[in-house]
Amino acid sequence: MTRTHLSLLSALVLAGGCMDFDGHDGPIELSTEVDDWRNEVIYQVLIDRFDNGDPGNDYGVQGDDLARYQGGDWKGMENRLGYLQELGVTALWISPVVKNVDTDANFDGYHGYWTQDFEATNPHFGDLAALRSLVDAAHERDMKVVIDIVTNHVGQAFYYDMNLNGVPDITLQGNNDVGEFRHYTEYDPDFDPRGVQAFTSLGEAGPAPIVWQYDPATNHLPPEPALFQDPTVYNRKGRTVNFDDPDQLLHGDFPGGLKDIDTTRCDVKEEFVDIYAGWIEKTNADGFRIDTIKHVEYEFWRYFTQRVRTRLADQGKDNFLMFGEIFDGRDDLIGSYTKNELPDEATLQREQSCVPDGQPLSGDQLDSAFYFSQHFQAIRGVFQDAGPTDQIRSLWESRRDTWGTEPAANSTGLVPADVPINFIDNHDVARFLFWIGDRPQSEQRALLHNALAFLMFAQGIPCIYYGTEQEFRGGNDPANRERMWDTGFDTTGDTFQWTKRLIALRNAYPSIRRGAVQVAYSTSNTGTEQDAGIFAFERAGGDAGGSYALVVFNTNGEHDSVTRNGDQVMTVLAPPGTELVDVFTEERVVVAADGTLEVTVAPIDRAMFVPAAEYKSGI
Amino acid sequence: MTGLRSTFARRLASVALATCALLPAHAFAQPAEPEPEPASSPPAPDPSVDPAQVEALEQRIDELEAKLDRLETSASQPTDETPAQAPPPVVVEVPAPQDDAPPTKEASVDDSPDQAPPNYADGFHFGSYGRVAVGTDARGRPGRDGDMVARGSRLDESTYLELELRREDYWEKTGAYTRIVSTVAFAGPLFHETGQFDANLGIRNLYVEESGLGTDRLRIWAGSRMYRGDDIYLLDFWPLDNLNTVGGGLSYTFLDNLTLRLHTGINQPQTSFFYQTSPRPLPLGQLGEAQVAITSRQRFVSSARLSNIFGLGESGGIKPVLYGEVHYTSRAQRERDVRQFEDLPLETGVLVGAQVGMFTGKRSTHLNLVARYASGLAAYGEWGTPTQLAPDRTTGGAREFLVAASGNYEKGPFGLLFGSYWRLFRNASPGLDFADLGEGIVMARPTYWFGKGGGGLSVEGSYQAQRRGVLIDQDNNPTPQFGQVGRIGVMPFLSPGGRGNYQRPHLRLIYLASIRDAGARRLYPRDDVLGLRPVDHYIGLNAEWWFGSTSYFRD
Repeated sequence: MTRTHLSLLSALVLAGGCMDFDGHDGPIELSTEVDDWRNEVIYQVLIDRFDNGDPGNDYGVQGDDLARYQGGDWKGMENRLGYLQELGVTALWISPVVKNVDTDANFDGYHGYWTQDFEATNPHFGDLAALRSLVDAAHERDMKVVIDIVTNHVGQAFYYDMNLNGVPDITLQGNNDVGEFRHYTEYDPDFDPRGVQAFTSLGEAGPAPIVWQYDPATNHLPPEPALFQDPTVYNRKGRTVNFDDPDQLLHGDFPGGLKDIDTTRCDVKEEFVDIYAGWIEKTNADGFRIDTIKHVEYEFWRYFTQRVRTRLADQGKDNFLMFGEIFDGRDDLIGSYTKNELPDEATLQREQSCVPDGQPLSGDQLDSAFYFSQHFQAIRGVFQDAGPTDQIRSLWESRRDTWGTEPAANSTGLVPADVPINFIDNHDVARFLFWIGDRPQSEQRALLHNALAFLMFAQGIPCIYYGTEQEFRGGNDPANRERMWDTGFDTTGDTFQWTKRLIALRNAYPSIRRGAVQVAYSTSNTGTEQDAGIFAFERAGGDAGGSYALVVFNTNGEHDSVTRNGDQVMTVLAPPGTELVDVFTEERVVVAADGTLEVTVAPIDRAMFVPAAEYKSGI
Repeated sequence: MTGLRSTFARRLASVALATCALLPAHAFAQPAEPEPEPASSPPAPDPSVDPAQVEALEQRIDELEAKLDRLETSASQPTDETPAQAPPPVVVEVPAPQDDAPPTKEASVDDSPDQAPPNYADGFHFGSYGRVAVGTDARGRPGRDGDMVARGSRLDESTYLELELRREDYWEKTGAYTRIVSTVAFAGPLFHETGQFDANLGIRNLYVEESGLGTDRLRIWAGSRMYRGDDIYLLDFWPLDNLNTVGGGLSYTFLDNLTLRLHTGINQPQTSFFYQTSPRPLPLGQLGEAQVAITSRQRFVSSARLSNIFGLGESGGIKPVLYGEVHYTSRAQRERDVRQFEDLPLETGVLVGAQVGMFTGKRSTHLNLVARYASGLAAYGEWGTPTQLAPDRTTGGAREFLVAASGNYEKGPFGLLFGSYWRLFRNASPGLDFADLGEGIVMARPTYWFGKGGGGLSVEGSYQAQRRGVLIDQDNNPTPQFGQVGRIGVMPFLSPGGRGNYQRPHLRLIYLASIRDAGARRLYPRDDVLGLRPVDHYIGLNAEWWFGSTSYFRD
C-alpha cells in the first residue's frame, strides 16, 4: 500500500464531497454587528415552535401536545428569516441552545430551561453548524441574534434521598404526627433553610444525600461540565415556596425540581463565564437574554456581566447586550439589576476574592431588563383593562431612580434606564388576546393594535413575542407556546400588516428610537370624563437630533377623548406654531401660542404627530 | 469442495456437466427416448454424432479439462455473514444498504470462463459456507468487530453458517432443468458459547429456477433469493449489487458471455416507515382488541444487470458490467396519535453503477473497479429505513456515491488480496448530521504458502477513515468529526487444499491489533472499552469453509 494511496483516501474522506459545513466549522472571528441597540426590534422565538426546517432532528415529537416537542429547529428559523425581515424585526431572541433534560413528568424540555449539558447543543434544534448557520444568515440580513441563557439552575438532575432508602419517592408518610400523612416528593421537596433533611422513623437524620438521576433515554444525566457534578455546587435547600423570602428566592430550587446552583462560588462564576462567553465565541451571536435573574445574587451578575463584556470586547465583540428576566412587578427590584452599585466593603472583599489577580469588580451589572412592571401596570393595567394612565407616568418617571443611569464599561454604551426591554407578552405569561377573549373581535384587535403601537413608540427596545402578529391568543404555559407553522406564515393579516407598519414608522423617525421621553399628558380618569384614557408622551432630544414625535393614546373603549381636562390642556415641547402631522391619518394640528395642543382621539386609538417638515408619507 | 483429484473419466464427466452453460445441451447429451420425469440420471451421450463432431468435442473436452485444473485451484468461495457481535450501533450504523448482514457470494472472478459453475445435476445436493470464530481482546473480554467503517476486516468477524440443500432435475420431455434451492443461515452465538438452546436463523434462499425451457439462453426464477454480483472478499462486501428480496427474475444470454439479468422483488422492513399496527376494538360488539395495520407498504426493487466478457490472451479477459436498480414504495398513512393520521408520501429511488473486471484466468488473479450512485429511497439501501428526511418529509435529496477497487494476485508461493472503497452518504435532511458520512478503507493481505501450500502465513493491514456530519467543539474551534483506525493482523493458517487465496477450508490463528485515534474513539458511547483504548487487540481461532453451494457460483 503506497503512501500516495493512503493520502488519496484521506483526502477523499476529508474532502467529503458534499460534506461541507459551508464555513460553519473552525474558529470564527467575532464582530460587532450592532451600532445602537435602540434601533433594533427584538422578536422572541421559541425555537421548538417556530418552524421545522429539518425533520431529521424530530426526536420524540408529539404533534398535538404542546407540553412536548413539536419539531421546530434552527434550520426552520433560518428558513423563515425572510418572513421576519418583511415584518421588520431586526433581532432574534432564541430559546436556550443547550442540551436539556429531554422529558420529565410527561413534560419536555422543548423550552430549553432544563439544562443538562451547558456546553452541548440541543439536538432537537440542530447542531453547532446549524446554529452558526442561523447566526450567519441573520447577520447577512443585518439581523442580530440574542441567545437565552440560564445560570440559576440545572434541570431535574437529582433527587433528595430523604428517607435514605436509595430510591426516589413521590409520597412519603411522615412519622412526626401519628395518623397524618406528610406529602413530599423527593424530586422537589419544600424549602428547608437548613438544607433538605433526611429522616427515619426515629427522627431527622441530617442533610439528605442527593442522588443523581441516570436515565440516558430521557437525558436525566449528571449535568455537564464536570463542575456541576459536585453536590456542593448546589444549595440543596429544596423548592422555593415563598418568593418573598430572600433565602428561598436565592437558594431554593426553582419549582419543578430545577436544582439551584450556588452562584456565589468563584468556580461557578468562572465556569459560567467560560461556558457562555464560549457560546458567543462559537457563534458570534450578539447578546444574552438571561433567565431568572432575581434568583441569583447580585454579586454573580457583577462578576458575570463584567467578565463576559471584557472577554468579548477583547476579541472584537462590542455592544454586546445582556438583559435579564426579573419576573416581578416591582420596578425597583427590576431596575436594581441594572444599577451600578457596589455592596458593602465586606461583601465586596469576598467578591473580589474571585478575581485576585484580575481587574477589580465594579458595580456594573446588566444592560437592561424586561420591563415587567410596565407589562403589569401599562399593558395589562391600561391598554388591556383601561386603567388610569397616570400609573404609566408614575412608572416611567420613577425609572430614573429605580434603574441604572450610567452605561456599564465595555457595554452597549447605553443608559439602562433609557433602554428597558418593552413587551406585551412572552412565553411566561398568557398572551394579550387571551385576557380579552370575551370581548368583540373588533375590540380585541383594536386593543392589541393600540398595545403594539405603545410597544413600538415607548422609550426602550421593543420585543415582540412570536405569533403576536398572527393574533395568537393562548393562555398560560404551555397554551401560549403555539406552533407558528400552523399559520402558514401569512403576511396578509391585519395585525401582521399593522406591526409591519409600526416598525416602519419607528425606523422612519429617530425620535421614536433614540429620543428621550417626556410624558405630556396622563389622567386618572377612566369613565365618561373628556380625557378618560388619554396618555400622551413626547420623544425628542437624547440622541435623536432634531427629530420630534408626540404620541397620543386613547385607551378607553367608550368614547372619544381629548387632551384636555377642563381648563387644563396638554402642553408640549414643540414650539408654538409648529405644524404637526398625524402619521396615521395625515391630520394636521398646530401647537398653540401658549404651547398647548388639544387633540381628540377615538376610542382605543392613537395618533403620532411629527413636525410637518419631518413627516414622511406613505408609511 | 475443490481439490478432489479424480480419474480422467470422473473428471470428464464432471467437465461434461460443467460445460452445460457453455455448450448447447444437445451437443453431447440427448435423451434416447422419453423417460419418466424427472430423469434419474444424466442424459447419455448420443452415439450417432459424426466424426467431425467427435473430434470437435474431444478438442473441446481437452480445453475444458485444462480449465477444470484451473477451477480446482481457484474455485469460488467466500461468503458473508452476519456479525454475531456487532460493534456499537453508533459506530457501525450505516444508513446504506450493506448494513443488513448479507448473504454469501462467490468470488470476484466468477464470471470468468475459467470459473464456470458446476452444472445442473440430478438429485439432491448440499453446500455450505461457514466460519466459526472464537476470540478474546487479550483482557478477557470476547473479541468483537473493531472496524469503524461499515465494511472492514473479516479477521474479527463472528460465527456464521449457511446450509444449502437443493434439488436438481432434468426433464426429458421438455428439455428443461429445474433447480430448487433452500439455504438456511445461522448466526452466532453458539450453544457452546452461551449454554442457551437458541439460534439466530434465517432463510436466505428459497427459490426455483428453470432453464432450458424453449431456449438454453433463458433462465427464469421465482422465490426468495440472495441476488448478487462480485464481492470484495477482504471486506465481505458486494460494492455494486447485493439484493435480498422475494420476487423473481430472468437472465438471457445473447452471445456466449453477453448476459442480461432482470429482476424484481419486494421486501417490507418492520419499521414504522413501512409497517405500523395499532389496536382497535373488535367489530360487532365483541370484547377485546385486534391489531390493525395502519401502515403497510412494501418496497419494490427492480434491477437490471448487463455483463459481458471479452477474452484476452490465453485465459484472461475483461468483464464490463452495467447495473441499475429502481426502488419504489407507495403512498401510505401513519397514525401519529390515536386516530390522528399523517400522510407518508410516495417514495422512489434510483441506483446506477458500473464495474470493470480484469482477470488473467490463472490463480484467480483479477482486478475489479466499481462505481455506484444511488439517490432517493435507493440511497438508504434495500433494507434501510429512511431517516433524516427532507423538509417535505420525503427521501428526496438523499444520495450515496461509492467507488471501490479489489483484486487478487498470486504467483508461486506468494499471494496478495486487496480491497478498498470510498463512500459518501448524505441523507435527505438538508443539514449535516451524524448520519451523513464519508468513509473509506484500504486493505491488503499478502500471503505466503509454505511448501505445497498446506499452510501459510497471511499479514493483513488496513487503514480506515471516516468523517461524520457533526462538529466537535474543541477549545471553541469546532471541527468536523473525523476518525482514523489502523489495523494490522497476522494469520498463520492451515489450508489442506493447497495454495490459493480462495482455497478453503482454512484453520487459522489470528492476531489483530487496532489503533484508534481520538476521533475514532469518540464514536463509541461512554464507558465502551473501544472508546477508551487507543490500541485494542484481538486474538482468535477461526475456521472457514465453503463448498458446493449456489451462493458460491453463478450461472
